[in-house]
Order: sequence, then C-alpha cells, then structure tokens
Amino acid sequence: MYFDDVQAGDSMPVLVKEPITKLQLVKYAGASGDFNPLHTDDDVGRSVGLGGVIGHGMLTMGFVGQALTNWIPKKYLKKFKVRFAGMTKPGEVITITGKITAKDEENNLISGELSARDQNDQVKIQASFEAKLPRKN
Amino acid sequence: MANKDKIGKEFPPFAWEVEKGKIRELVQAIGDNNPIFLDREAAVAAGYKNIVAPATFITVPMMWTNTLTSTLDDADVKFVNILHGEEEYEYFAEIYPGDILTGQAKITDIQTKKGKSGAMDLIKMEVNYTNQEGKPVLKARTLIVEKI
Repeated sequence: MYFDDVQAGDSMPVLVKEPITKLQLVKYAGASGDFNPLHTDDDVGRSVGLGGVIGHGMLTMGFVGQALTNWIPKKYLKKFKVRFAGMTKPGEVITITGKITAKDEENNLISGELSARDQNDQVKIQASFEAKLPRKN
Repeated sequence: MANKDKIGKEFPPFAWEVEKGKIRELVQAIGDNNPIFLDREAAVAAGYKNIVAPATFITVPMMWTNTLTSTLDDADVKFVNILHGEEEYEYFAEIYPGDILTGQAKITDIQTKKGKSGAMDLIKMEVNYTNQEGKPVLKARTLIVEKI
C-alpha cells in the first residue's frame, strides 16, 4: 500500500465476523488473561442484570484490529484508539467498517475512522487510526 | 470510589517475555487468520523479522501480569463496578516472540462525573513498554469507568 495510491474517502473492505460464541469468550479469556467472570459465568452476568455473559471489549477491539491490519499492513500502523460504546453478547454478528478521512502530505500520514456494529446496527466500538505509508519513489 | 491521592502514581516496572504461543492463542480467539501472526515465512515475506504481534496483543501482558487489576485495586476501584471506556495504542516498534518487554504503569488522572445513570469515576492509566534493547515499543492508554 502506497501513500500515493490512497485518498481521503477510501473505504476499508468490510469485515463481517462469525457470531460471537461462549466458547470464543472462554478462549479469549485464556489467551488474554482477562478472567473477569462476567465473560465466562452466566450466573454472574445474570446477577448484575445483564442476562448472562457479555463479551470482552478487548475482543471487539481485536475484531477491529483484524479489519484494520487486513487493509493497512501492521508495520505502517502508528496509532489505534477505540471508544467502547456498547456491550456484546454471544450470538451477535459484528461488522467492522472504516474509511480514510485525511492525508498529511508532509508526513506521509493517513488517518481514518472505523466502527464495529452488531446485526441491529448497534454501535459497539468507535475507533480512529493513524498510519504512515511509504511513497512510490 | 477511586482514591484521587493516587493520581500521578507510578508503579514498579514489570518484565514479560513474548511467546509465539500466546500470539497464536490470541489471534485464534479473535478469529484473525492473517498469516503474519502465525507463520514465520509469511511474516518475513511481508517484511517483518519473524511472526509479529497483532494490534491488540499488548493486552496480554497487561492482564497476565495483573497490572490492570493491581493498579485499579491500589486506587480502591471495585472491579465488579467497572466498564472499559477507551483503549489507545501508540506503536513505536514491532513486537516479536522472544522479546522481553518492560512495562511501567502510571495512573494519570481520576475524575468524578455525573451521568444520566448516576455518578462515576473516570480512571486514566498509561503503560509504557520498552524491549530488551531499551527501545520504546508501545504506549498504551486505558480509560476505566467505575460506577460509584
């Protein structure tokens, strides 16, 4: 990916994730070390009025990171910031979209926005990123 | 309720070794099959030195060293009442298996706000990571919201 080839307004390829599963939350807990029982014990989720387990915010950030680095190589990524806007639950299908919003010609930087939404268009994450791209020559 | 006396507190640095298996576990849990996170040949062909850590990998040492829990605990924040508000990463260098990361955590701000659903504490913390060469690798900023 070259700085010369991208424009403000370019869209990221859309990523549609498989539905979140309870097993996935167990795998994510083990991998990440976040053992908050809110993510793996339905009784705990029910006891705080959430109806059952909720997904780790960081799992959703992982989805957004996946979409981002499928599009812009990891080695060019300089900043990645998310605001957690909604909880996820097993069964939800998360779609990540994004676009480039600005180009800084002096520093070869692009910046952009992304969001993660569920199948009912409820926003889970609003995100922004900055990347430094090489020029063709 | 968070203890505002802890604003500015820096915690002792921790050291943590990056392992290939943890990278694999994390990307498999996320469902990210980008080969640069799994296959050395693919990673080198894409311009990395080795299999490389994905964009959100730094949460692994943050959680496995208990840095998040112990920092919040030190500030009297009740884990059962928290939500993750924001997370921000600034990347300075790639992270590879075998790297020894040194992380240092700091509480940068604590504020009390009144929202629609009641009062909350906004706790901001930062962890700065360097590698075994002393190179800055990543700066992580976290905003935790505690219902009070």
